Amino acid sequence: MTTVNPTVNPNDILQTAESLRWEIGPEFHEQLMEGIYTEAAKLADRAVTRPEEKPRFDLDRTIDKIVTSRVWGFPMMILLFTVVFWLTISGANVPSSLLATLLIDKTVPLLHQGADFLRLPWWLSGLLIDGMYLGTAWVISVMLPPMAIFFPLFTLLEDFGYLPRVAFNLDNMFRKSGAHGKQALSMMMGFGCNAAGVVATRIIDSPRERLIAIITNNFALCNGRWPTQILIASIFIGGLVPAYLGGLISALSVVGIALLGVFFSFVVSWGLSRTMLKGEVSTFSLELPPYRPPRIWQTIYTSVIDRTLIVLWRAIVFALPAGAAIWLSANITIGGVSIAEHLISFLNPFALLIGLNGVILVAYIVAIPANEIVIPTVLMLTVLVTGTDAGAGAGVMFELDSQADTMALFSAGGWTLLTAVNLMLFSLLHNPCSTTIYTIYKETGSKKWTAVAALLPLAMGFVVTFFVAQIWRLFAG
Amino acid sequence: METNPAILLLIGTAVLAVTAVFLWPEKGILSRWQQGRQMTDRARREDALKHIYKCEQKGRRASVESIAGALHISTNDVAELLGDMQTSHLLHIHSDNITLTSEGMESALHIIRAHRLWERYLAEKTGFSESDWHSQAELQEHQLTPEAADALAAQLGHPTHDPHGDPIPNAAGSYVYHGGQPLNELAADQPARIVHLEDEPEAVYAQLVAEGLYPGQTVRLIESNSTRIRFWANGNEHVLAPIVARNISVRPLPAVVEEETAVSEKDHGTRLSDLPLGETAEVIRISPNCRGAERRRFMDLGILPGTAITAEMRSPSGQPTAYRIRDAIIALRPNQANYIYVKQV
Repeated sequence: MTTVNPTVNPNDILQTAESLRWEIGPEFHEQLMEGIYTEAAKLADRAVTRPEEKPRFDLDRTIDKIVTSRVWGFPMMILLFTVVFWLTISGANVPSSLLATLLIDKTVPLLHQGADFLRLPWWLSGLLIDGMYLGTAWVISVMLPPMAIFFPLFTLLEDFGYLPRVAFNLDNMFRKSGAHGKQALSMMMGFGCNAAGVVATRIIDSPRERLIAIITNNFALCNGRWPTQILIASIFIGGLVPAYLGGLISALSVVGIALLGVFFSFVVSWGLSRTMLKGEVSTFSLELPPYRPPRIWQTIYTSVIDRTLIVLWRAIVFALPAGAAIWLSANITIGGVSIAEHLISFLNPFALLIGLNGVILVAYIVAIPANEIVIPTVLMLTVLVTGTDAGAGAGVMFELDSQADTMALFSAGGWTLLTAVNLMLFSLLHNPCSTTIYTIYKETGSKKWTAVAALLPLAMGFVVTFFVAQIWRLFAG
Repeated sequence: METNPAILLLIGTAVLAVTAVFLWPEKGILSRWQQGRQMTDRARREDALKHIYKCEQKGRRASVESIAGALHISTNDVAELLGDMQTSHLLHIHSDNITLTSEGMESALHIIRAHRLWERYLAEKTGFSESDWHSQAELQEHQLTPEAADALAAQLGHPTHDPHGDPIPNAAGSYVYHGGQPLNELAADQPARIVHLEDEPEAVYAQLVAEGLYPGQTVRLIESNSTRIRFWANGNEHVLAPIVARNISVRPLPAVVEEETAVSEKDHGTRLSDLPLGETAEVIRISPNCRGAERRRFMDLGILPGTAITAEMRSPSGQPTAYRIRDAIIALRPNQANYIYVKQV
């Protein structure tokens, strides 16, 4: 029997509690938590029974022994990804040109006929068809086929369970730059599309490493920038060597730019993890899930719906106003000169300083929504500035079928080999497209990190092109 | 281009250099200016209070010279500072003797509370490394109001000790200090518990951290002489210079606890990172040096005392190593696996 002593003062109890707090030691929260977890684990172990016999042949470990072996691990990885990229690039050519023929060559004249029939004023049909529709169609035809091939292939590898092993193999490299091994995967995804790459960083559960992966994803040369690189490399760099070597040299220079991007992403990861992101929480764990036969149809369905269509939809949303802006900037004149030309001559001194020209900078400003339309915009603006008779009219984007014609147009625009090299560098090192910027904002929920991710590569681009231009001029005269 | 590229190159390099000097983290002008701005009169005053309070605790006498040394300012400035503080009723000065008034004591305790809470916060909730905690808390202690300190304490679950083992005064300013003795003075073979690791000077503290020592750890002295201190901790033998070992405060363990530790010392175990591939071991504990998110992640994965872990395979690039934990394959880096102590079964 206990009796309640009426003389006990609540304050005495509080005081006793306070003095006891100092007795239980500093680690008691940890001990309590550990106790709860241990108890939970015991309960689970008691309730769950497992077959005692271990299978003599463990398929998962056998596959793991091969894909993570010192001899076969890296060659297999390189081979697999080469196949994926080759399938994407060669497989996308046909549907891309098919889409371009259908959406642009066939549909645009039809739309114009329709507009004439409805007696739309020239500026309205120009804005709607030559601006908004053409810009969007361009983005779709360049962007859709590679993504529709790359994403399902990538998702199949993921579904099979191979990708976590890639992260496992490469983690040491990423650890040295303060990043997470899974950044290898989000980077790879970034080669398809940076917006999808940024979304893919969700697999990284450590806050600091995830931010690093998001901010550096832009250094993975995306699908929208490959065509620019390939075109410029084959015209300018492939043209430097005999014809039979041209294809090889230009391909090597594009791969070189992509590797330079990987290099920058390591350097920037290293810098960020030691400065701005020093205080962010960092943990590491990498689960290697069991292998399973890939569910092909389900994978294709989900990767088309989840990745391809969502990214495509965002791109269209941004491409529509961009198409309008491009058309308007070339067609609205102030004092007899279009806005685009005003901008070009305004930016020209600075652009020449960094080895580019005003046309390229203006193209990069209006093409913030989608890197795919940089080259068509550059061509259109060059025609506008030089007054040559190529192209389809002010504000109408186009591409030329023959490389010789394209080269002739660039020469008329005053391009040199330096312009080409710096364009390739600037295409790698500039702000991400608006779709990616918006995705970064959605994923980080932070204006600060979005601004860093957008402005850091741009600043790096200006610095690198500036120094390349000065050194080039110093030695090449 | 009209301008000579060589000149532009020089200008460009100069601009980059100036930007670097200005923005360089920690050492750049901008961050120095930010730090300097925080060294206001109030901050100096608070640092002086803290210094005098700590001297009183250690039974030493604070002097103008010792304050000047602690605050890195001239003795003239200290004299002026002390004069100001006397007029604001923070301290008494009788000839050489500087003592705190009750008001001064209260402020000093608040600063110490803010400092130690902030260290605890950095350890638990951020990714800053041990060597950064003290210097960051030195700045932050002047920014935290008593209300903010209370909110922080509540958020952290009213911790009683900072990560170095120093007690955190509660909101009323009271705390219990389990004083210890320097490790050097411990009798040989006497088991003791580390109660405190001194975090100043930084280089010495970094050495203690590198040895894997932490408050709460059991140690046993093997040999102590004027050139070196040898002792057991964590199942490993450590050798430190006496001047370094002085910064470790220990408290001898009572006889009952002594017996318990005598048993557990046998299976102190090895680090998980030392487990050979293909071998299985049982977890004994997670090092208390593993805190916050990292520790919770381990527990989420089911790494608890008694859990069996098998080392399965190693990455072809040398690390991480994949372990089988509760039928899942989880890769951990060596610096994490170092936190987990196991015994082979």
